[in-house]
Formats: sequence, C-alpha cells, structure tokens
Amino acid sequence: MEIQLKLYGSSKMLSDKEILHIELPNNSNIEKLRDVLNQIISEKYLKNNLKNLSKTAAFFSEADEVIADNYQLRDKELISIIPPIGGG
Amino acid sequence: MTLHTALLKTEEAKISSEKAKKFILSKENGAESIFIGRVRNENGGKKVIAVTYDAHDQAVIKSFQTICKDAKSKFDKNAKIFLEHVKGHVPVGEISILIAVSSGHREEAFKICRYILEEIKHKSPIWKKEHYVDGKDEWLPGHSLRPKEEIK
Repeated sequence: MEIQLKLYGSSKMLSDKEILHIELPNNSNIEKLRDVLNQIISEKYLKNNLKNLSKTAAFFSEADEVIADNYQLRDKELISIIPPIGGG
Repeated sequence: MTLHTALLKTEEAKISSEKAKKFILSKENGAESIFIGRVRNENGGKKVIAVTYDAHDQAVIKSFQTICKDAKSKFDKNAKIFLEHVKGHVPVGEISILIAVSSGHREEAFKICRYILEEIKHKSPIWKKEHYVDGKDEWLPGHSLRPKEEIK
C-alpha cells in the first residue's frame, strides 16, 4: 500500500515536493509509518537534522485531527506530518 | 462581531495595528492590551536576517478560534479579540503576530493577551525557519503535539 504524506515545517527537508509518497506493508498503522519514516531519514542522510522527527511528530487525518499510533492507514490515504510546533 | 482571527500570507497582506485598534474599540471595554511580535535580528548568538513561517492553514484557523473563545469564557465573555499571524517570508523588524484585546478592566485584557500567545505556541501548527547572515538556515525546535505518554 501507499500513503501520501503532506509535509510541514522541518519535514520539508525530506522532499522538494509538498507531498511525499510512502510505500508501506498492507494494513500498516501510524506506528509502522514512524519506523519507515526513520529509515527514510537515515537513507537521506538527514539524521543530524531530523534525528527525533519520527518520535516527536504528530500526524493529522484529513479532518485535521491528531491520529493515534494504532490508527489503521488506508491505501492512498492523505495524512499530514506535524513536527513540533512553535509559532509567534 | 467580537472576534477576528486570520493567517496572512506575506505576499498578499501585512498585519495592520491600525485595523486591530479599530476592531477592538468598544464603549463597554475600558482597557486595551496589544501584543506585537516582530522578527528579531539575533537568536542564540546567530545573526538572523529573516524568518520563514510555515503553517497548516485549516488547523491554525481552527486552533485560533478555539483559543480565543476559551480566553473569552475564561476571563471576560465581553472581550473583543483581534488575532493575526503571518505565513511566509518575514524580514527582521517586521511583524509576525499581533494580538489585540479590549476588555472591561486591565487585568483581564493583559491576561487574555498572554493566554492567547502561550496557547498558540503550544497548540497552533506553525513552524519557523530562521535565515542567517552566513546564508545558512535552520528549522527551530518546538513543542510536540504527540501525546507525551506515546513518546518512548
């Protein structure tokens, strides 16, 4: 299965595009997505900049609600990655 | 109308303190408090030339509305609140956020202003990337929205 991850804040270092397409095993949840994200960060040599991102990021559903680690992802689902925030 | 919130794209509009002052003007409210945040030229010893703000637009607007309504019910239901934040590239010295509040009394006006600012920093999905004199840039750390008990 594949999900579409909309990038915000520091996660934009992962791609020049707004949305990152990520391949996941079928029936993956957010916890699995965190593991895969961690691998992607390593492969792109971004460990220094994004070392805690897979742990500290939250994820929003299309309804803009935080989704829990056991949330079951659907094929082609669009979700947003929300790195630690700090406006003002 | 007693509440105005907006996220302004820097290429389209600028925050106006005059607009904010007009909005909060009320014969019933004798106290006004205005907080203006501007981009500073230094952070942690690094010389800053600008900040780029990124934001999850819909979630930011939702959070602004919730925060301001909470502030009114907590401190003064008759308060008038104007809140604007920018999204995009902001050079040093320019305004990134403006919170203007009018209330019956000064204590509530100060409290509402402070409450809104602190809540935004912890609840509104906005991110800052600082640009430095040496040409480098860096996303700043912030507060995680992931439930603490889930972070191992």
